[in-house]
Amino acid sequence: MIARIKSRTREVGQNLADWMEERTGIVSMTETFLFEPVPSKGKWLYTLGSATLFLITLQFLTGILLLFYYAPTTDEAWDSIYYIMTEAYFGQFIRGIHFWSANILIVVIGLHMVRTFFSGSYKAPREMNWVVGVVLILLVTILAFTGYALRWDQEGFWAWEVGIKIGSYTPFIGQYVATFLLGGDTAGPATLSRIFAIHVWLLPALLAPLIGVHLYLLRKHGEFGAEFEYSKRLSELRERRQIEEYSSYTEGEGSLEDGGDSQG
Amino acid sequence: MAELQRDPISRAQFLMMGIVGSLVGAVLTIPPAVYVLSPTIQTNFQGRSDIPDEWIEAGSVWEIPSGAPMEFRVEFSQKQTYDAGQPGAEEEPSPEGVPPNVGTAINTVLVSWRDGKLPGVLEDNRGTQTLSASEVEELSRRINVLSNHCAHLGCPTRWQAEKGLIVCPCHGGEYDINGHYRAGPPPHGLFRFAYEIREDGGLYVKHDFTNGRPWVV
Repeated sequence: MIARIKSRTREVGQNLADWMEERTGIVSMTETFLFEPVPSKGKWLYTLGSATLFLITLQFLTGILLLFYYAPTTDEAWDSIYYIMTEAYFGQFIRGIHFWSANILIVVIGLHMVRTFFSGSYKAPREMNWVVGVVLILLVTILAFTGYALRWDQEGFWAWEVGIKIGSYTPFIGQYVATFLLGGDTAGPATLSRIFAIHVWLLPALLAPLIGVHLYLLRKHGEFGAEFEYSKRLSELRERRQIEEYSSYTEGEGSLEDGGDSQG
Repeated sequence: MAELQRDPISRAQFLMMGIVGSLVGAVLTIPPAVYVLSPTIQTNFQGRSDIPDEWIEAGSVWEIPSGAPMEFRVEFSQKQTYDAGQPGAEEEPSPEGVPPNVGTAINTVLVSWRDGKLPGVLEDNRGTQTLSASEVEELSRRINVLSNHCAHLGCPTRWQAEKGLIVCPCHGGEYDINGHYRAGPPPHGLFRFAYEIREDGGLYVKHDFTNGRPWVV
């Protein structure tokens, strides 16, 4: 009985998948996106990139939810966060995920970078993916820093002040950097508006396409070392070579036959 | 052969494409860039400040002790984005006398006597409330009116009596009672407010600094 239910369920699932595949190509698309051969050595370390992507997605989702209550004004920013934490149902949970996943994200990105470095995945022809990754880590760091200031509490405010002062030491353009970030010559409402615009719109708009480029380049070149170690890919390679050899052999034989006919 | 060497576009067409492309590029990029950089243009090139050019009373010279700086809290009115338009614009104050749409920037001013020594003028005139022009001049020479923001990264500094120094909690920058650099990462001494002492002993400050800009509140 149970076996029959199981087989029936499998059959329905298979039919549904086939139906979707035929109309949208979603099954093959999912296979293309999800399955990437990795070297057998240190295989779990190759999940750090996916973990980063998962955490960034979590940041996007919880960030959108926080926007339902957050007010980016100097008078109301902290109060709105206090409201989220104390009054809104699951507010503490949503903000907690946003806050802690942001912290974990920085750690995971660091580990991902370390793994990439020590596995030699930055080497040719993957240099551009390393460069894109470095830009991504910079963007995430600025995102974390601007998010810190959005609370507009003592901690976030003074961290931002220090950040602006650091920016003001930029050679030649320091004072322009400071006034750009402040939105004037003092910290005030314009400063918070700018931090908000940078955190919520500008940086995510830069981050999303760069993640796409990062993934595209990964797919284009594959993981470094995977082509030597991944048995399935290796067997496919052997099979392809056999077919190529066989076809070249049969073609050669055919041309010989053709030549023989013309001579005859 | 001559046919092959002929360019697909003429020189005039190429130049026209460049000019039209530059114009379209300028129309698409200049307005948003200038829009975002407005505060930079207004502050750095037009000399605009968020804080109106006005004197605010910080306290009285009679309150400043010898041997240690005194902290005064000064609230400057601030006009930035939705906290009102351009400084100097005509605005009707509310019935309570508060100008509309004006925020505030709170600054802490550290005021001390040079080397911590009370000027003789004050010792002689203790209890009197008016100062002569020469006494005002004397006090103005002997007073330090300092921003409490560290010259390194802007953290708020404070006086540590046991050390006899003004100390920054962030990275350990140290200044003497005159605000001069003593130790740590700051590149120079504390920022100095523009100030004036009036006949009644009132100390007035402007959000203007005589040795650079702190770029903080």
